[in-house]
Amino acid sequence: MARDLGILIIAVLVLAATCESAVLSPVSESHRSAALELFSPADGSYGSLEETYEALKTFKVLGIEKKHDIRTSSCASVADTLKSTSSALKDFVDALRVNSILKCELNSEAVRGTQSRFKDSLNGANSLIDFYYSIGGLVLLKEQMSEVDVNLGDADRIFRSIKALGQSDGRWRLSSNNPESSNNAAGIALEALAGVISLATPQIGNSLITTLKNDILKLFDGIERYDDGTYYFDEKHVGARGHQSPLSSSASVVRGIAAVAAATSETLNLPGEKILGLAKFFLGVGVPGSAQDLYHQIDALSYLENIRQVLWKLTFFRALYNKAHPDLKIYSSDLDFVAALVRVSTVLGSPAPTLSVRLMQIFVSGSKDASVIDQELKFDAVSGMHVLETLPKNIDVGSYVFSFEVIFHNPEHKKTYVSGGRTRVLVHITGVIKIDNAEIVILDGDRGSVETQKKLKLPGDNTVALSANHLQKLRLSFDLSTPFGNAFKPHQAFLKLRHENGIDHIFLVGNSGKKFEIILDFLGLVEKFFYLSGRYNIQLTVGDADMENSFLQPLGFVELDLPDAPEKATRPPPQAVDPYSRYGPKAEITHIFRAPEKRPAKELSLTFLGLILVPFFGFLAGLVQLGANLKSFPKSTVPSTFAILFHLGIAAVLALYALFWLKLDLFTTLKALGLLGMFLMFVGHKTLSHLASTSSKLKSV
Amino acid sequence: MIKISLCLFLVSVPFFAIICSAFSEDRPTDRRVLVLLDDFAIKSSHSIFFKSLETRGFDLDFKLADDPKLALQRYGQYLYDAVVLFAPTIDRFGGSVDAASLLEFVDSGHDLILAADTSASDLIREIAVECGVDFDEDPAAMVIDHTNHAVSETEGHHTLIASDDFINSEVILGSRKIEDPVLFKGIGHSINPSSSLVTKVLSASPAAYSANPKSKLSSPPTLIGSAISLVSVVQARNNARILISGSLTVFSDRFFRSGVQKAGSTTKHEKCGNEQFFVELSKWVFHERGHLKAVNVRHNKVGETDEPSMYRIKDDLEYSVEVYEWSGSSWEPYVAGDMQVQFYMMSPYVLKTLSSNEKGLYYTSFKVPDVYGVFQFKVEYQRLGYTALSLSKQIPVRPFRHNEYERFIPAALPYYGASFSMHSFYVL
Repeated sequence: MARDLGILIIAVLVLAATCESAVLSPVSESHRSAALELFSPADGSYGSLEETYEALKTFKVLGIEKKHDIRTSSCASVADTLKSTSSALKDFVDALRVNSILKCELNSEAVRGTQSRFKDSLNGANSLIDFYYSIGGLVLLKEQMSEVDVNLGDADRIFRSIKALGQSDGRWRLSSNNPESSNNAAGIALEALAGVISLATPQIGNSLITTLKNDILKLFDGIERYDDGTYYFDEKHVGARGHQSPLSSSASVVRGIAAVAAATSETLNLPGEKILGLAKFFLGVGVPGSAQDLYHQIDALSYLENIRQVLWKLTFFRALYNKAHPDLKIYSSDLDFVAALVRVSTVLGSPAPTLSVRLMQIFVSGSKDASVIDQELKFDAVSGMHVLETLPKNIDVGSYVFSFEVIFHNPEHKKTYVSGGRTRVLVHITGVIKIDNAEIVILDGDRGSVETQKKLKLPGDNTVALSANHLQKLRLSFDLSTPFGNAFKPHQAFLKLRHENGIDHIFLVGNSGKKFEIILDFLGLVEKFFYLSGRYNIQLTVGDADMENSFLQPLGFVELDLPDAPEKATRPPPQAVDPYSRYGPKAEITHIFRAPEKRPAKELSLTFLGLILVPFFGFLAGLVQLGANLKSFPKSTVPSTFAILFHLGIAAVLALYALFWLKLDLFTTLKALGLLGMFLMFVGHKTLSHLASTSSKLKSV
Repeated sequence: MIKISLCLFLVSVPFFAIICSAFSEDRPTDRRVLVLLDDFAIKSSHSIFFKSLETRGFDLDFKLADDPKLALQRYGQYLYDAVVLFAPTIDRFGGSVDAASLLEFVDSGHDLILAADTSASDLIREIAVECGVDFDEDPAAMVIDHTNHAVSETEGHHTLIASDDFINSEVILGSRKIEDPVLFKGIGHSINPSSSLVTKVLSASPAAYSANPKSKLSSPPTLIGSAISLVSVVQARNNARILISGSLTVFSDRFFRSGVQKAGSTTKHEKCGNEQFFVELSKWVFHERGHLKAVNVRHNKVGETDEPSMYRIKDDLEYSVEVYEWSGSSWEPYVAGDMQVQFYMMSPYVLKTLSSNEKGLYYTSFKVPDVYGVFQFKVEYQRLGYTALSLSKQIPVRPFRHNEYERFIPAALPYYGASFSMHSFYVL
């Protein structure tokens, strides 16, 4: 047994950082491949300049070298837009944004033209969107062309008129005649105000900036929160621009705050917990499926890094240790090599500053008891990982919660980084569980003496064939122990008996220490078994999340001989019908026709026909032989005509009968026969009366 | 007043035009789909699934499930052909929608995709029960499988299952075999064994069980082994189709993109089967496959072309029917070898498999039984995954007329001979 278990596999698996939600990994390869997939230009260019900017920005943040060559076409489109006088303000801004990344060579005349457009529209602006685009355009111009004069003389007035659209809860309205305020508009307003601050020639007064900072803090008071510490800006208002998802409005707010932070070069003292919560929200989206969502996510994360570097949670890597050792004692020292690897990075996956990670506490999963450990993880500069080289001695196969803490070496970093305090990580330590002394026994009911006993090999092929009656008992027992010889209680230890007709009976196998045992007393189970005798297949399932060798094993069968069911016994439940057999063609049916009556052979009928015709021919022969006289046939004209007609009529009836047989139906025949009958009556009467008169004449003569 | 009614008329004209272009006998594919979400983030995180629907021409209308303006019908007309219910935690729908109205929607022949998840609300469970599916009652229970789980770095409770126990049906899952296991993480359900309308599409392995992974078991779990269904479909008698999944995550982009490796196996699949499985399944649910129609039901005597009003016993007749399957865009000939016709009066007198010309025409010929009465030609075609075809045509069968019996019976010749010879005697 020991040799079989020689391979000890200990895997350190890691669950959620918060134990509840799924692990949120920082921006990774999957984002990059998704970005390339989602932002793939159709025939060398994107649909609009806005889309081009979103693609370029996402690629830039993710550090993707441009795979799609769109520079030429995009630059041409930028130049076109800037030259045209009919383009909307938004298009100018998008063009300048694209230019800020691509650095196209532009005609300075055209640029100057746009500058006056922006200034004009700024003077006539009354809605937030107008302010946003004209100020945004000027800021972009300032960044890209140093020679253009973009300074605002009346910055204070513009600042106040934008500020006038703000609400007391930190949200903004899009224009003065639209009463609904939104977080999305707040983000836009903050960006516009940041632009005003950076463009103002006489600096904006400090009092205005302070009120702006207060507005931001108020905005954070209205942030929504999930139970797991995720924060986001929700959007209830469905405005003219359609429904803004929480992702886009949160991104908008983050962009605005980042712009303000950059413009004022002051610390905003934003609550670290909420910044971390926002980072969690953006990462929690996973890899978004639409290009715009991906842009919002990546863009917002990049700004979050600028506001305050958010240290993303500790990411663990699966560490496998695999070594053969027959001697149990060595395992405990072997465990010392198991390394828990911890990587600390920022949300965008860039390396963290110098810091140390300490393992503070270990909880046994599911209980409150914690062993306090204060152990520093060793930093491996090559891989950039923090390595837990030794595990505490009392760690065995099982689930634990490790609590880690990040400590910055440089206290200054505390101001610029958010790490989120202690991180609790669920760690599964798995191993091969040893199974010994497995046996299945049939016991005699009264004395408890062993009737049959079979050793089992677990896991392995077993085909035991047992038989028992309702006065006997079945006992299954086995021992489970961890590689360190401790008792192990798996989550799943089921014994299943399945009757031939498909009814399952499940039993939990209980334990006391290492020993697992179940005794099935059939006398008490007859009712549960629905008094069904016959073959029951035995199946044992032992499994646990921390058990490397979980198994489902058929053990064989037991032939049960149970008493007959009393009348009131419950019937077994119906079993699910196999879906394949429920449908399908039915057996064909052909109609069986009534058998025809039995008839004599044709030859026999013909013979009899001949026999029947014999007298007729005999008669004809007789007539010819004897010589028939026609003496009494009337001689005079009239009676002879009647007599001939009468005879012809009789012949016609015969012909009619022949026709009836051959062709006609009963009704036609009867009709014709009626007419013929009347005719015959008439001519027959005439003939007979003539014959009568001649014979009376003869008598009288 | 005239102005108002004119306005109403102008408003309603395009509205009825929309209704007319909707679900019909001729075009059974759904057009307008209402997607109910818990959270708009699902729209983005499950975008591959939605995109596949949109590229197939569906008009998706995303709404929050508690949107107060939610309505399934207006002026007695349904606004949608199908509902995708991706809101497992919703306790109460907004607007005029509730469980009863949603079930009525299905009862009137519309389709539904329902995804539950751990902590599924009572409302979702209630709808599922009405569809013939019982989710595990324990709200914390998940399907756990210690031998067939997917290898994962982030999931240690073995609740991420790699299942490849699919139903063997080309019509439901498409003609291309699903090679890669499907990732599943969620709750299991059982289907009512007496229901013939519910079918398991994805089942758990024999070692699986449904329990709370974080607490010790005190009694045997109610759902165990391959009786656990992970994904089921329902085809109602009115051909409404329902897909019920015990997990919403299975539709997510994360799962659609994820690779999978089964525990204890060395083969690593680059991509799990989720995308293929659920996209194909949605094609079936939205009637892009497996929807049959029968046209041109004909019958006539052999050698004639007109349909008689009545048959005589022992007539030879020909029966033919054309069957087409909707492919999502057109009606294609349906080819199968197991279409059967019954000549039925109280019970089938003749049951015959129809021959096919492989172009959708099914035909056969048989002799009318020597029993008269009012018969029916019946085609009852029910196959797994296909809509049921139920055709019947009544036709009376009469006995022989007096002049239709046999005329020249050889056995009777002596009698004929006798009578004719008698008569001849008489004439002579």
